[in-house]
Amino acid sequence: MNARTVRWSRWTVEFGLKPLAISTFFVLVALLWTFPLQHAIAYPFVFLFFGAIMGSAWFGGFVAGLLAIGMSFVTIDFFFIPPLYSISVGKESRSFLTAFVVCAIAIALVSSARRRAETAILIARDELEQRVQERTAELKHSNAEITERERQLRLLTEAIPQQIWAADAGGRVEYCNRDLLEYLGVRTDPIQGETFFSIFHPEDASLFRESWDGARTSGGRFEIQVRVRGGSGLYRWFLVRGVPQRASNGEILRWYGVHIDLEDQHHSQQRILSAYENLSRFGRTMSLAEMAASIAHELNQPLTALVTHASACRRWLQNEPPNVIRATAAADRLVQETTRAADVVSRVRSLFSKADYVREPTDLNQLIHGLSGVIRDDAIRRGVSIRLRLANDLPVVDLDAVQMQQLLLNLAVNGMEAMEGASGSKVLEFSTEALAGGEIQVGVRDTGPGIPETIRARIFDPFFTTKPQGTGMGLAICRSILEAHDGRIWAEAADSGALVKFIVRAQA
Amino acid sequence: MTGDKNRSTEKVFIVEDDASICAGLSDLLESAGLATQSFASAEQFLGRWTPDMTGCIVLDVRLPGISGLELQSKLLESKIVLPVVIMTAHGDVPMVRKALKAGAVEFLSKPFQDSELLEAVEQAFALDRVRREKQDRAQTIELRAQSLTERERQVMGLVTTGLTNKEIAERLFLSVVTVKLHRGQMMRKMQAESLADLVKMSELLSHQENPRNPQS
Repeated sequence: MNARTVRWSRWTVEFGLKPLAISTFFVLVALLWTFPLQHAIAYPFVFLFFGAIMGSAWFGGFVAGLLAIGMSFVTIDFFFIPPLYSISVGKESRSFLTAFVVCAIAIALVSSARRRAETAILIARDELEQRVQERTAELKHSNAEITERERQLRLLTEAIPQQIWAADAGGRVEYCNRDLLEYLGVRTDPIQGETFFSIFHPEDASLFRESWDGARTSGGRFEIQVRVRGGSGLYRWFLVRGVPQRASNGEILRWYGVHIDLEDQHHSQQRILSAYENLSRFGRTMSLAEMAASIAHELNQPLTALVTHASACRRWLQNEPPNVIRATAAADRLVQETTRAADVVSRVRSLFSKADYVREPTDLNQLIHGLSGVIRDDAIRRGVSIRLRLANDLPVVDLDAVQMQQLLLNLAVNGMEAMEGASGSKVLEFSTEALAGGEIQVGVRDTGPGIPETIRARIFDPFFTTKPQGTGMGLAICRSILEAHDGRIWAEAADSGALVKFIVRAQA
Repeated sequence: MTGDKNRSTEKVFIVEDDASICAGLSDLLESAGLATQSFASAEQFLGRWTPDMTGCIVLDVRLPGISGLELQSKLLESKIVLPVVIMTAHGDVPMVRKALKAGAVEFLSKPFQDSELLEAVEQAFALDRVRREKQDRAQTIELRAQSLTERERQVMGLVTTGLTNKEIAERLFLSVVTVKLHRGQMMRKMQAESLADLVKMSELLSHQENPRNPQS
């Protein structure tokens, strides 16, 4: 009810009072100006009324225009059309008035239409302006948000106690985080592009480049262990992990790299490796000595008991008078103890049985690959380069991988030790070859002084050694491992250095 | 007489974790007329030890828990003075040296002859006996010395430093006759047959008193 009233009153104002007031105002102004002007102009002067109609239609709309036409018509008829001061119209003036009304309606229509169009344009412009302002505000806001997020992200990369870098799709490093810069000892000069590769150990730089190039062509992530030079000039081992960032179409946009300090881990790993090395070199004889001691103890216990029971038995019999009951008891214990001694002997025998060998299908090439990884650091330290010449078509062999690895390690360490004082390039070469009849021949060659022909046949004998600290067991163990695998091992004459070969059979 | 009495209380304390060897050892020792008591571990021995134990310990080196050599040093620490015979199935030179340094009577390598063990045990018993006799004698002398009067003790001290009666009398502001009286009484109480005997006794006494009763 109330709303309707309001709408009604608004309608009244919009189409009643306002057009009425505007048209009245303009017509009055036109009338007042026409009175003085009619004396100067001969014809009934109506142009100002056209102006009033135009103005009314412009400012008050078509309704005001119509009202102005009505009022102008009456006013012109009353004041300026003869008979003057009367509503009646003379015949001769009728066409004139008709023409006036038609023209006035046209003017009112055009004017109000123009006005409407103008208003519409204005409104549209205002709306547009507002829209633009809103958009600008929105953009500003989201811009601030993005900046803030970027700042937070940057802060995060700086806060992570991890060395991080970022590179473009071509592999040009653009950004290093603070941790990385601090480690490198660089503060102001950014490490970018080509200079980035100088942070790696010269021996690792090309390796790093290779694996990254590989990752770039294959499009995968990469991971590599390299030494990175710190600010102090010392190298530490790092695990560098590179991850590509891709666009939605799969194209690589950027690379991110993380450096993980491996030094402590690497140290402990090297300790394990060196312990492993020691074990493989001396462990066998050490454990042999220890085994001998424990067998001696195991046997000595029943032996001691045997001797004491026997002695007690004899003494009871030698007593005056002989104590036969005690002597019999001692003799009984003597018999029991003999079984215990026999048990020990059979236990020892089972210890040395071949049941210990666990045979599994093994790829010798893979084994050699694994081994070269294990001895890589050692080889670098000794200045030895490892070369692999592995046959592609190697059959899989049933063998004890642990024992075989120990054998290969033994040969590798022997080779590297032989090259210790040698001049010239030091190369340790592993080769595999598939022979006819399912046999695989493995060769381990070094560029050391070689094995003199006079001792070549004896080097696999137990306790034979040319090293001052040697136990003479290493190669003997190698031979026994191969014998357990129905293979054989020998040393061959070589142009330079030593060449040890062994054969295992694919069909065990 | 005293020797027989000792024999009856003397025992061989066998500390050995191998039950069969333990049984063999005690059987062997019993066949030689010796009393034995067995312990399966060092802890067991320490738990059952009493001050009146006499004889010797036959001790294996490899024992569960406290090892034989550790037990040996523990015995020294707690002033358990029983002689020790060590035996082991895998002895090396440093081990033997350590055991002998710590006062072991004998170091037997398993397996050993019965005579080796019995000789070692006899030797240990003899050592223990000498130790106990020494200890007994010291105790009786101390008892005698305790029965002396203050004056007699003074006289004894001066006599044993080699002074004559006259010199003693001068030192103590006594007459020679009185000194002679005290001296006679003291000699009788100490049951000393001669001056040399008395000097020996006083040496034992001072020896005994220094480490044992430092406060008195």
